[in-house]
Amino acid sequence: MVKVKFTSALKQFFPDLSAQELEGASIKEVIMSIESIYPGMQDYLLEEDGSLRRHVNIFVRGEMMVDRHRLSDTLTDGDEVLIFQALSGG
Amino acid sequence: MALSNQEKLRYSRHLNLPDFGIRTQEKLKNAKVLVVGTGGLGAPLLQYLTAVGVGTIGVVDFDVIDESNLQRQVLFGIEDIGKSKTTVAIAKLRAQNPFVHFIEYNLKLEASNALEIISNFDVVADGTDNFPTRYLVNDACVLTGKPNVYASIYRFEGQVSVFNWTNREGILGPNYRDVFPTPPPPGMIPNCAEGGVLGVLPGIIGSIQASEVIKVITGMGVSLSGKLFLMDVLDFSNRTLNIKRDPKNPLNGEKPVIKALIDYDSFCGITNDSNDTIDLSPIELARWRQEGQDFQLIDVREAYEFEAGNIGGQWMPLGELAASVNLIDKNRPVVFLCKSGKRSAQAIENITSLGADYSNLRHLKGGLLSWKDEVDSDLLLI
Repeated sequence: MVKVKFTSALKQFFPDLSAQELEGASIKEVIMSIESIYPGMQDYLLEEDGSLRRHVNIFVRGEMMVDRHRLSDTLTDGDEVLIFQALSGG
Repeated sequence: MALSNQEKLRYSRHLNLPDFGIRTQEKLKNAKVLVVGTGGLGAPLLQYLTAVGVGTIGVVDFDVIDESNLQRQVLFGIEDIGKSKTTVAIAKLRAQNPFVHFIEYNLKLEASNALEIISNFDVVADGTDNFPTRYLVNDACVLTGKPNVYASIYRFEGQVSVFNWTNREGILGPNYRDVFPTPPPPGMIPNCAEGGVLGVLPGIIGSIQASEVIKVITGMGVSLSGKLFLMDVLDFSNRTLNIKRDPKNPLNGEKPVIKALIDYDSFCGITNDSNDTIDLSPIELARWRQEGQDFQLIDVREAYEFEAGNIGGQWMPLGELAASVNLIDKNRPVVFLCKSGKRSAQAIENITSLGADYSNLRHLKGGLLSWKDEVDSDLLLI
């Protein structure tokens, strides 16, 4: 199981958003699990070709993910996955 | 330039700080910092950079003070409403510390002036409130070789980093485009005017930003270069993430393709072109109502805005529009409206992108602000 946390800014579109413990051996698998809990999240995070939208970033264990195109970065039990996005306010 | 005796007195709490002393204070005095944006982040940034004795501070903003600014922009008061932000800010900051030299830029930072302005400074602090200016500041800093101390806020969250900074070993750190290669499509991330911001948040995040500016100038401590600090004040969570340079960065990756500043509004998908097929002027809308024309009027603002003042119509906030699409008529004209005309134009894009077969959608150009100017000056808008 990996722990997935989200920027609270995403509550704008997913009001019931909260951290989740999910199965997933890669970032791609985790996003598919998230989609089943929060329908529409996949479209928000990914482009039509399946790559990560470029204003979104995902960190695993505090490190920036590597494969933004195929989302193949592997995950192991206990990893923390943080999903967040750019903010513009000042 | 050395410190005068009066300055030594003023900065005495710095002078007796371990590893600080006169040499470090002189670094602050000799530094030139450009603060872009005199809003929520700009207030603590400017006040602390002034207080600690940064020698030269450039202040950039084109806007005037609005009553809705006062909940977080603590440099300003009621008597300042309607006045230029840069002029009022500098008058207050001069009273705070007469040893600081201020340079006023009462203008919009744009591709045409950014390189020239930024090249006059050692460090840039980005406290702007929109994506086009954030990419402009980032790119201009990379092209001129200046460190960009970055912060941004939204609702209860803040982000801080030091971009494009070369450390003591001569290694250049990442910049904004390494973390967020391109901006979000318009409307995907709301700004504070639409989504709100906790009044104290810019005070916290802007103070951290000011602290990073001081560290970049003085070389003290460990900077946030190569790191992105995130904070959520609602659950008091914070984390520091490691970020690194992207070989594909178009500015300074392995194959740079951006050699000069670009059109950042267009880059961020913002167009100012009028569109006669969807734009409806306040006068036209008033005429439609007067003539009793059959159309659906939909207000896409947030609940608190609608409750404060509206001109009728159905209330469907932009964020919930997709879920309410079956309530939008197809057989008569539909007019969306919001405060400025931005969200209502976005509403049409959102509905159209759902693939639904609509050819009857229009929006109030200039929003209720224009309606207030041209039709009903008594309308209360927040």
